[in-house]
Amino acid sequence: MSEPVIMMKNVSKRFGSFTALSNINLTVNRGERLVVCGPSGSGKSTMIRCINRLEEHDAGTIIVNGHELTGNDRRIDAVRREVGMVFQSFNLFPHLTVLKNLMLAPRLVRGTDKASAEAAAMALLERVRIPEQAHKYPAQLSGGQQQRVAIARALCMNPKVMLFDEPTSALDPEMISEVLDVMVDLAREGMTMICVTHEMGFARSVADKIMFMDSGEIVESAPPDEFFGAPKSERTKMFLKQILAH
Amino acid sequence: MSFNFDLVWSSLPLIIQGLGMTLKLLFLSSLIGLFLALFILLLRISGRWYLMWPAMAYIYVFRGTPLLVQIFVIYHGLPQFDFIRESIFWPVLREPFGCAVLALSLNAGAYVSEIMRGGIIGVDKGVKEAAMALGLPRWQQFIYVTSPIAIRLALPAYSNEVVSMLKATALASTITMMEMTGVARTLVARTFAPYEIFISAALIYLALTYALQQVFAWIESHASRYVKKER
Amino acid sequence: MADLTGWLDDYFFGTLVVLQVFFVALGLSVVFGLIGAAARLSQSRIANGIAKVYIVVFRGTPELLILLIFYYGIAVTLTNVARYFEPTAGFVNFPPFWAGATAIGLIVGAYMTETFRGAFQGVDPGQVEAAQALGMSRFQVFVYVRMPQMWRLALPNFGNHSLSVMKDTALISIIGVQEIMFVAEMATTVTRKPFTMYITVALIYLLITTFITISIAYLEKYANRHLRGSR
Ligand SMILES: Nc1ncnc2c1ncn2[C@@H]1O[C@H](COP(=O)(O)OP(=O)(O)OP(=O)(O)O)[C@@H](O)[C@H]1O
Ligand SMILES: [Mg+2]
Repeated sequence: MSEPVIMMKNVSKRFGSFTALSNINLTVNRGERLVVCGPSGSGKSTMIRCINRLEEHDAGTIIVNGHELTGNDRRIDAVRREVGMVFQSFNLFPHLTVLKNLMLAPRLVRGTDKASAEAAAMALLERVRIPEQAHKYPAQLSGGQQQRVAIARALCMNPKVMLFDEPTSALDPEMISEVLDVMVDLAREGMTMICVTHEMGFARSVADKIMFMDSGEIVESAPPDEFFGAPKSERTKMFLKQILAH
Repeated sequence: MSFNFDLVWSSLPLIIQGLGMTLKLLFLSSLIGLFLALFILLLRISGRWYLMWPAMAYIYVFRGTPLLVQIFVIYHGLPQFDFIRESIFWPVLREPFGCAVLALSLNAGAYVSEIMRGGIIGVDKGVKEAAMALGLPRWQQFIYVTSPIAIRLALPAYSNEVVSMLKATALASTITMMEMTGVARTLVARTFAPYEIFISAALIYLALTYALQQVFAWIESHASRYVKKER
Repeated sequence: MADLTGWLDDYFFGTLVVLQVFFVALGLSVVFGLIGAAARLSQSRIANGIAKVYIVVFRGTPELLILLIFYYGIAVTLTNVARYFEPTAGFVNFPPFWAGATAIGLIVGAYMTETFRGAFQGVDPGQVEAAQALGMSRFQVFVYVRMPQMWRLALPNFGNHSLSVMKDTALISIIGVQEIMFVAEMATTVTRKPFTMYITVALIYLLITTFITISIAYLEKYANRHLRGSR
């Protein structure tokens, strides 16, 4: 059970003179589900984006699936294929139909033949419950549907771990649950996940560990019962009070 | 002092004799210009200073000087050098047609590469990141994700540029090319009815502009089909 | 370089002519652009229609052709008018400077029309309503609320249009205005160094367009000064 998929050791990241991450230490094991929360600007996106090197860290070590992240481009592409990512703003390819969005990467980088890529894509669309939208373009879908396509697109590469960066915060309230349901399913199936979200109900029900960040640091990290029941730091308490007041 | 409509009608078929040359100039130079633009664009976005700088200098010079001056430098200017007259390019550069196509293409290359770059800059950063996150190598990101979106974004500006190029072909008449404006100018010299003849020519240009715009509007609507919601 | 020495003063005075044409044509293009925009924004369908035809015709016809229509057209018209009163009158020449500047002003004015119209409509209607709610008159709203923002919105396009005016000035040598293209032609017949002479013209244009580009960038910075954050 304790096979680490992601390890960050003393990771720091700066934008110019601004320190976005300082001394981040983190281990996520296979099958583990980590929820990250924290105020805006605390560095949650920066941290998660360092894991697939959409941002380059300045100091420390990041090891993903046993590969250390360095400047080597080929290696990075290989790592990225094992790491699925879902963005706040969906970022579907607007010029491709839903089905083609799903098939693009498997066909190009895995060399999967058309028929099996299509079959796999359709199976995933079933799983996120929108097989009937396969031939539409992203602009013709609702936000919740687009985000589910984005999840399916990431899953098409059979990733070892999924990263979610506030996947529901751009959605209208009535669409949030359809996306969260899909994520809960994934968690139940044993997917390793790191999820930046402020959906505390979701965190409580699926997370093995909840992590609170502020000003680029990990302030507190604990299992849900402890995190909600007995937060240690004042900053965590303040944050929870604000977020649960809604 | 009367406007002679009969003269318009009788000169139209004469001016149309120059239409073929106008279209030939337009077609050749937009085709060559397109390839040139793509080449310049790749240099420009390579991220390497020794490739970017020549591209930027090229764009700066060709966009910062009048096309007419470029045409004259090439047609009248280049033969000043013996090495050009002895080079394998001389058969092309000796002819006004070759010079006109060269000047128009070089000019288009500069403008079109900037139009393409505008399209690329306009592509949503998040969409590019999504391709990156899936592990597509850089060139595949560019070909399968960035380019198709950039082309759609660049089409309206490109369509304007092609219309500009159509108008620019008229400058070839200054180096003796018998395209529509050239034909019109000889007719005026003969009949001395500038209004009738030049206006006839203008009407044909307007019709061509309209046709080009219609073609591009169709291409644009086809290329943007995925942007529109159904219903 | 040595070939140039005797001609430097000619280039200098030629450049002055280019600048004169530039300023006159630019001024005219602003005037035509404002009139065009006012017509496009007016309620009158006739004014609107005329403005639309103006835009289509002057943007769809080669600049050179418009210039020729103006120059020869006006000359022929004036000659005919003169002969109506005095049948033995000779050929009346219209000053090519003014024919050229007016033609360029009209051409670029067609582009300015759309820029000004866009800038007028680009001002947030909420602000106009806010000003009216404060009791300002229509005129006051225009002068104090719209105008200061309009020029900021229009500036980037205005910059491009002034560059077009500058580059179009090269055409007026064709109707016999004695500017730098003309100087280059003269100098070539004497020195037989066409490349040197025309590349000098290109460099002069490059210098002027660079200056215009920098000025516009500076103006844009000034116009947007209140949009920058406090940090
Ligand atoms: N490319 C960048 N250049 C400069 N500063 C940046 C950049 N990206 C992020 N930052 C800064 O780093 C800090 C952390 O940003 P990050 O996006 O990681 O925050 P976040 O916790 O995800 O916030 P949010 O909840 O708003 O998404 C912010 O202060 C942000 O302004
Ligand atoms: Mg974020």
